[in-house]
Amino acid sequence: MGHRVTSADIPVNGEQLPKSKVQIVMFFTGAIALLGLITSAIFLWGNPEKASELKGNYSFSWLFAVFYFFTIALGGCFWTLLHNVSNSGWGTSIRRLMENVGFVFPFIFVFAIPLLFPSVQAYLFEWMTEHRDAISEASDKSAPIKDILNERGHQHDGLLANKAWYMNLEFWHGRFLVFFLGLSFVIWKLRKLSVDQDTCTSPGTTRLFKARAMSSWGIAVFAVTLTFIAVDWVMGLDYTWFSTMWGVYVFAGSALNSMAVIVIVSILLRKAGYLKKVVGPEHDHLMGKLMFAFTIFWAYISFSQFFLYWYANVTEETRYFILRNTENWNILSYVLVFGHFGAPFLLLLRSDVKKKNIFMLIMAVYLLGMHFLDVYHMIIPERGPSVGNIVNHDPKLWMPGAWIGDIIAFIIVGCGFVFFLLRNLTSVSLYPHRDPRILESANVHN
Amino acid sequence: MSTTVKRVYGYLAEFESASKLYKAAEKVRDAGFEKWDCHSSYPIHGLDAAMGIKRSILPYFVFFGGLTGFLTALTLAYVTQVEIYPTVVQGKPANFFTVPAFFPIMFELTVLFSGFTTLFGLLGLMQLPRLNHPLFASKQFARVTDDGFFISIEARDPKFSAEGTKSLLAEIGGANIELVEDEN
Repeated sequence: MGHRVTSADIPVNGEQLPKSKVQIVMFFTGAIALLGLITSAIFLWGNPEKASELKGNYSFSWLFAVFYFFTIALGGCFWTLLHNVSNSGWGTSIRRLMENVGFVFPFIFVFAIPLLFPSVQAYLFEWMTEHRDAISEASDKSAPIKDILNERGHQHDGLLANKAWYMNLEFWHGRFLVFFLGLSFVIWKLRKLSVDQDTCTSPGTTRLFKARAMSSWGIAVFAVTLTFIAVDWVMGLDYTWFSTMWGVYVFAGSALNSMAVIVIVSILLRKAGYLKKVVGPEHDHLMGKLMFAFTIFWAYISFSQFFLYWYANVTEETRYFILRNTENWNILSYVLVFGHFGAPFLLLLRSDVKKKNIFMLIMAVYLLGMHFLDVYHMIIPERGPSVGNIVNHDPKLWMPGAWIGDIIAFIIVGCGFVFFLLRNLTSVSLYPHRDPRILESANVHN
Repeated sequence: MSTTVKRVYGYLAEFESASKLYKAAEKVRDAGFEKWDCHSSYPIHGLDAAMGIKRSILPYFVFFGGLTGFLTALTLAYVTQVEIYPTVVQGKPANFFTVPAFFPIMFELTVLFSGFTTLFGLLGLMQLPRLNHPLFASKQFARVTDDGFFISIEARDPKFSAEGTKSLLAEIGGANIELVEDEN
C-alpha cells in the first residue's frame, strides 16, 4: 500500500480469485476427501455386533479429525459474528476471509455423518451402548429411560439414570441436527448479506445493521453450539467425567486456530498478488495481536481447568488428568504446556515480529500443529480404555499402530476442509469492496 | 536593575493548525534537530513518525520487570513452601511439583512488577514529576492547553543557532517566534 487508499484504488467489481488458479489443488483435495469419506463410511458402517479393534480405533481417529476441523470452521463463525456484533471497522477487508472459513461449517456435517452410525457410537460413547442394552432388555420398552436404567441396576446405571434427562439417544441426535442447522443458517445468512452487497448498485448501511442485529443473537447460537457439541462429542467419551470449563477450553483453541488459518490465507493470497490493495502490515499486526491474545487465553483456561481439579481432588473430575498424566501421555501434556503456550507466548510477544509475514506464516502453521496435539490430547487417550475393553476386555493405555488411522482420517477431513475453503474463496469477491467501511479498514492504523 | 545573564532555553513558534504543525514537524526532523518538541492540546495521529521519534525502550524494562516478579514469586513460594516449611495437604507433593499452587502468585507478581515498571519507568524516562518547565516563562505558551500548536527547539541542540533556527522556523510557517529564556 504505502499511500492512503481511496475509492479510486478499489476495483468496481472487486477482486476475484479465479477458479483456474486453484483448480488442481481443488481437484486433488476434493477427490481425496470424497473417496476417503466414502471408504471410511463404508468401513465404519459395518456389522455393529462384531467388535473389531481396527474399526474401534478408526472411529476415534475419525472423531479426532472431524472435531479438529470442526473447531476451526466454528472459529471462523465466531470471528464473523464478533466482527459484526462489535461494529468493528478495522477488519472489513479481511471479513470475507472470516466468513469463508466460517462457511465451511455447514459442509463439516458431511464428515460428521459417520458419528451417527450406531456401529461407531458403540466404540465412542459407552453410555449409548448402556442405554441401548437397557432398552433392549427392558420388559416395558415404552417406559422412561430413567426408570429403565434405575430398574436395571448395573454398575454406574444410577449415574446414567440421573444424567438421562440430557444424555439420552433422542435428545443427543436431536441436538446434533439442530446445532448444525441453526449455526449453518446463521453463517449462511451473514455471508449472503455480505456477498449481496458486492453486486448492489446503491450499497448503503442497511445490510451492516441487519448483519449486526442478526449477529447479536447469532453469537448466542454459536456459543451454545460450540459448548454442547464439545460436551456431546468429547466429554461424552467418558460419561462419568464432567467439567464446567470444557466449552470455554474448546472455544479458546477454536478461536486461536481459526485466526491462524485466516492469517495463513491472507498471507498466501497476498503472495499470489491478491488482496494487496486493502490488507497491509497494520492488519497483520492486528491479527497477530489476536493470535497472541488467544494463546494466552488458551493457557489461562486450560490451566484453570487443571488447577481447580488439582486443588479440589474430586474423583469424577480428576479422572481426565489422571489418564492424561499416565506414562507417555504425560509427555504430551508437558509438550502442550511449553509448546502451546510457553514458546508462542515468548515468540509473539514483540510487536514488530507480528508484521513479518514469513514469521507469522510459520507461527500460524506451528500453532495449527499444536492444536493437532491439543485435540489429540482431548480425544485419543480415551481410545485405549474404551476399545481395548470392548474388543477383548483388556483396557490399554495406547492402541499400537492406531496412529496411522489418525493420520489417514486427518488427511481425508483436512482435504475436505481445504476443498470447501477454496470453493468459498473462489465463488465470491475476496473482500467486501462495496462495504461503506472498506476504506476505513484499508487505512487502519494501530 | 538586574544584571544577571538569563539562560536561553530555545525558540518557540506557533502554528495555525494540527496539519500545519505536522508538516512543520517533518521539516524540523529533516533538518536534523534532536532536542525539540511539538506541543498540542490533544494527541495527533502519526505525529511521532513525523517527528522521527524512535520506539521507546520502555517495553524492555517492562519485560525484565515482569521476569523479576515471576522469579521473585517462584523463589518466595518455593523457599517457604518447600524448603522452610513443607506443607502436605491432600497428598499433594511437597517438592517442586507442587508448582501449580504457586502459579496464581507467580501470575500476580508478574503483573504487579510489570505494572510498577511501566509506571515508574515511564515517569523516569519523561523526567517527571517536575515542578516547573522553562517554556512556562512564555506568555503565549499558556494557549497550548486550549487552541495553540507549538514547536520548541532547544538551545542545547548542536544544530541550534540564534539566526539559523529562527529563520528555519519562519520558513516552515511558524508565527510569533519567541526566544524563551529561563526565568531566573
